[in-house]
Amino acid sequence: MANVRQISVFVDNKPNRLAEVMKLLKDTGINLRALSLADTRDFGLVRIIANDTDKAVKTLKENSYAVTVTEILAISIPDSPGQLSRVLDILGAENVNLEYLYAFTGTSDKSVSFVIRVDDNNHAADALTRGGIIQLTENDIAEM
Amino acid sequence: MEKYWNQEIETMSREEMKKLQDERLVAQVKHVYENVKYYRDLMDEKGVKPEDIKSTDDLHKLPFLTKSDLRDAYPYGLLAKPLSECVRIQSTSGTTGKRVVAFYTQHDIDLWEDCCARAITAAGGTNEDVCHVSYGYGLFTGGPGLNGGSHKVGCLTLPMSSGNTERQITFMRDLGSTILCCTPSYAAYIGETLNDMGLTPDDISLKAGIFGAEPWTEEMRQSIEKSLGIKAYDIYGLTETSGPGVAFECSEQTGMHINEDNFYPEIINPDTGEVLPEGEVGELVFTSLTKEAFPLLRYRTRDLCVLSRKKCSCGRTLIKMAKPMGRSDDMLIIRGVNVFPSQIETVLIENGYSPNYLIEVDRVNNTDTLDVNVEMNPDQVSDKVSDMQQKERALAEAMKTMLGINPKVHLVAPKSITRSEGKAVRVIDKRKLHD
Repeated sequence: MANVRQISVFVDNKPNRLAEVMKLLKDTGINLRALSLADTRDFGLVRIIANDTDKAVKTLKENSYAVTVTEILAISIPDSPGQLSRVLDILGAENVNLEYLYAFTGTSDKSVSFVIRVDDNNHAADALTRGGIIQLTENDIAEM
Repeated sequence: MEKYWNQEIETMSREEMKKLQDERLVAQVKHVYENVKYYRDLMDEKGVKPEDIKSTDDLHKLPFLTKSDLRDAYPYGLLAKPLSECVRIQSTSGTTGKRVVAFYTQHDIDLWEDCCARAITAAGGTNEDVCHVSYGYGLFTGGPGLNGGSHKVGCLTLPMSSGNTERQITFMRDLGSTILCCTPSYAAYIGETLNDMGLTPDDISLKAGIFGAEPWTEEMRQSIEKSLGIKAYDIYGLTETSGPGVAFECSEQTGMHINEDNFYPEIINPDTGEVLPEGEVGELVFTSLTKEAFPLLRYRTRDLCVLSRKKCSCGRTLIKMAKPMGRSDDMLIIRGVNVFPSQIETVLIENGYSPNYLIEVDRVNNTDTLDVNVEMNPDQVSDKVSDMQQKERALAEAMKTMLGINPKVHLVAPKSITRSEGKAVRVIDKRKLHD
């Protein structure tokens, strides 16, 4: 399967906490391909796709961060009106439940990439393939 | 085979023990009445004379002493010997107000260290052991008490004091420490640090731990025993009566034997002062039977617990006290409900969380609020906010079942709550700032 590993890091919702995570990754030479931040009043979850997942996870764990790795889907679609809507329609028609999604910069200015977190990766991946949606592998993203 | 430090006393029959206690009490009351004006005035006010106290059955006639008496009499008001005969001062941490200072003659030091030696022996300690003392040294009684007891037993004593945890572990490994003495919260932190250093209990030689000076739960005991690969024994004491060693745990681990040849215990109703029968929960009161310099009679500890004379499998006949349910000063009254930090700790450990937490109590629009910050374990994170909020709700629900009131639970990052090397700070009560 073309599933991509996403790292989620728990950070307290306090000044400088995100900066500390970024500094740690910088010092380890990790490059971030995609990032989104989900926040509540108390805490934030930093979701990251990195160019070297294993190294990033190891570094974060050694520094006592609460970290989890989740498999997500990454897609690349043309940068034109209605494209994301088409993706969501495909998932909706298959009753795939979408937890969250976020966009990130792809290789080309004619396309845009998304991380998609669903409740059933295999089911969603099959549906997207049948619908002609390009899926990215972890390697594709690392080489961007 | 159970080993005793002082077999005669520790396994004495009830009749012989009562006889010893009666004799000691009569002499002690006379000593206090003659030498301590503060207590003599209290007795005179109540119309009690030393000759009215013929045995421990008459103890209830004597007035109580409380922490506020100790503050009023600071520093010399309760001293019963000339300073020229005193050799040591120890003191409380003074976190709840003015410090309390206690005085010791050489005889008092010997008795105290003897009590600690009983505790170390009950935990399996002999002159073959390396006793690693990580209680604070100084005015705090923890370090000096266990240090002295360890000398008496003949253990090779490592006076580490607290702090610099990695160095503590290095010493443990290099010198083969077998018995660790410290606060339970520091023992938990040493276990955590051991794991962080990539080590396991197999890399150290510890077999037992003697932990006291703060309340801890059965769940915390199990967690410490696992993280350090030891058997963990409770020890109880307070500066006002001498220090650690007033009571100690044996191999049965079902409560602590009180050294009742030195410290006579009573359980009272904290509201009325009435003495309660064995088995009822109330405030623990101690009368010092043997101390010379600072002999407190009927001192109210504010610790709530139960006494039991049930036969113990270790063979000791000394009366047992259950683990205190909490010191009445630790008890928080929130929206009229009594809450002990130990109850919150129990819920956390039962639900797979670490015992690292901080309770914040405040008053907003005349209503008390209870917020519990809980450190999550590194493997408890999810990528979904809803999962994390569900964890917070589940913990809040479990606490509500235990406490009867609704707390707000906030998960915080691992290691974000400050670790303690002595007594842990678990509660911040902001209501006091408003009063």
